[in-house]
Amino acid sequence: MGTVAVEVVSWVTKFVGGDGSGRKMFEEPIVPGATVRSVLEGLSTRYPELHAALWEGRELGEHIEVLVNDAVLGIAHTLESPLRPGDRLALLGQFMGG
Amino acid sequence: MPALSTSTPSRAKRPASAAAPRPGGYAGQLLRVNLTTGKIWSEPWSPEDMRELIGGVGLGARILYREVPVHVHWDHPENRLVLATGPLAGLPVWGTGGLTVVTRGAGTDGPTSTQANGFFGANLKYSGYDAVIVQGASRKWVYLHIHDDVVELRDASHLVGKDTWQTQDLLSAEYGLSGHQLSVYSIGPAGEGLVRFAAIQGDYGHVASKNGCGAVMGKKKLKAVAIVRGTHGLAAADPRGLVQAADDIGHDLRTDPTARSLYEYGTLPGVVNLHKLGMLPIKNYTTNVSPVDLGPWEARQLREGFDHRGHQCNACGMHHCHMQVIRSGPHKGTLVDEPEYEGWSGAGWTIGATDPQAVSWLNTELDRAGLDVNEFGWLCGWVMECVEKGYITRAQLGFDLRWGDVEGARKLVDLIVHRRGLGALLAEGVKRAAEKLGPPAQDCAVYTLKGAVPRGHDHRARWHEMLDTITSGTSTLETGNPVHPTEVGVPARVDPFDGVAVAKMVAGLRGRLGFEDSLGICIFTTRTRLENLCRALGAATGWSYTVDEAIRFGRRTGAILRACSLRCGITPATEYPSTRYASIPVDGPAKGQSIAEQWGKMLDTWYAEVGYDRKTGKPLPATCKALGAEWLAKELWGRSR
Repeated sequence: MGTVAVEVVSWVTKFVGGDGSGRKMFEEPIVPGATVRSVLEGLSTRYPELHAALWEGRELGEHIEVLVNDAVLGIAHTLESPLRPGDRLALLGQFMGG
Repeated sequence: MPALSTSTPSRAKRPASAAAPRPGGYAGQLLRVNLTTGKIWSEPWSPEDMRELIGGVGLGARILYREVPVHVHWDHPENRLVLATGPLAGLPVWGTGGLTVVTRGAGTDGPTSTQANGFFGANLKYSGYDAVIVQGASRKWVYLHIHDDVVELRDASHLVGKDTWQTQDLLSAEYGLSGHQLSVYSIGPAGEGLVRFAAIQGDYGHVASKNGCGAVMGKKKLKAVAIVRGTHGLAAADPRGLVQAADDIGHDLRTDPTARSLYEYGTLPGVVNLHKLGMLPIKNYTTNVSPVDLGPWEARQLREGFDHRGHQCNACGMHHCHMQVIRSGPHKGTLVDEPEYEGWSGAGWTIGATDPQAVSWLNTELDRAGLDVNEFGWLCGWVMECVEKGYITRAQLGFDLRWGDVEGARKLVDLIVHRRGLGALLAEGVKRAAEKLGPPAQDCAVYTLKGAVPRGHDHRARWHEMLDTITSGTSTLETGNPVHPTEVGVPARVDPFDGVAVAKMVAGLRGRLGFEDSLGICIFTTRTRLENLCRALGAATGWSYTVDEAIRFGRRTGAILRACSLRCGITPATEYPSTRYASIPVDGPAKGQSIAEQWGKMLDTWYAEVGYDRKTGKPLPATCKALGAEWLAKELWGRSR
């Protein structure tokens, strides 16, 4: 048993009860066999707005970027990658402007 | 001011081919201005051309291809300066004051498409014109005044030397008009001085900034275009359908999880977001890790850290554009335009400046001088690094210039726009200046071999933009960022450091941006599904318009601009980043990622996917045919093909 830190950044905090700025930290407990997917599902189940923004069916949608240990998901990790205590996730809004 | 040339442009008969009624949303006339002769006339364009070219960059690309031959370089009098709107401009869809500038630009001496907003598009349409096409060059400084059917070239000698905001202030006072009643787009001292990255700025903070379009205007001695909000009627073919489409777009922008941040804060969230991804360029690509706490750089803090109010464009419901008052520091009390992300980057992070109050002030100073904030950032950051490393001396500059020195950066602006001392070289843009100094200074400069520069991101963590910037026919992004990519069959996400996947994504997204930039509408209010935009276009014009047709149109426009580029000598041999632009990040989330290693296969993939010939760069005959441009295939490849 242990936890994984999930950092919800800036705009995405709106979907977890924040004001769209700063960051909100969650310590998500994990059990053996926990994956990126299971941790994200565990969090988004508690926040319907986050769930709607994060998922497109069983896959991640286009609205939120997921980082695992500071690297964009897809480089070294997939949704099915196992997580270990002390790993870090970050949820970041996609940016359309600029 | 007396008019040098006054004209009530004759309304020519519609051509025989134009038996069909004019589509809704169009004024129906193109305004032609010859600055050499002073002649001003209007010409109709046919419903068939409207359907094929739409407006904006679609119209401009055709004019550039047909009317600017190989020997007409950016500074030739016969170069065209196309100031185009589109069928949605002036209609009650959000952000419909759109202006697209198309010309052969001073930066690359190649084609340019660059956009701005405000009220230009609406005011021009209400005066009865869909676009202004400027040719020739005046002997004395003039400005173009448009008030319904009265179009005049007026003496601009009293405006020479004025910055863009002063120019608008003076003209507004002269005509007794304010706000959106008079739209003024002008050049500042930078355009007058033919700085190769001079911009055209209008309506207090809107900038068509790319590829030295302001230098083209300066070469023609055209100081400004001032358009009174006209009184001509403008009707949609299906007003109820248009309002429904506009409502759907507005709903999408307010509720879509991604677009909603744009709706509330414009591009302000960019700084924190992009820093987290290693895409915020800090100190000329020397680091990607902020030396300061980013709390004050959150979107909400960037807005509420200033006294501010909304400064919306025509018919816009976004909380995007704002004016600010500086709250602290030496410029306390100064009214400025709230910077876009590009401003925070170019006038701030790129040069190592991290005080939002100072950066916001410098951003507006650049707008007033009429400089592209992106290229200024790359240039100033490069000079600062060169000073630090001893490649440029204090004696050469005449003053000290260290990282983050905003007041020093403002001195550099003066040096550049007046071409004083080293400023004469810097006014040629970062590529030419770096090449002149040579290594090791050259190795520190961020540019493309074409002569264009990236926008305000670190593309070493944003490979799709580097590929797009370098292969583009517009001198800046031709494809843009993914907006609802799955709508056009592109995956929602790809590995950002997989060169082949990135190249396929860029190729797959092509077309959308060219379509958007032809509508006369703001790029930020088009962050909706293409289907909604097609429905708005259909309701405005009476056409049945599909997503497939929109993509094909955008890609056809891209192919025409590609043909223009090749004619200008911009070939595949120039499609490379500079040493620093393609260097490996030394820290931050993209540390160690090397785009240079994958560049060759990225180009190979992109060429194969878009259907252009890898060796010559030409759109292949089959590609032209598929895009409905068989005429282009014949001209590029000969009739035997």
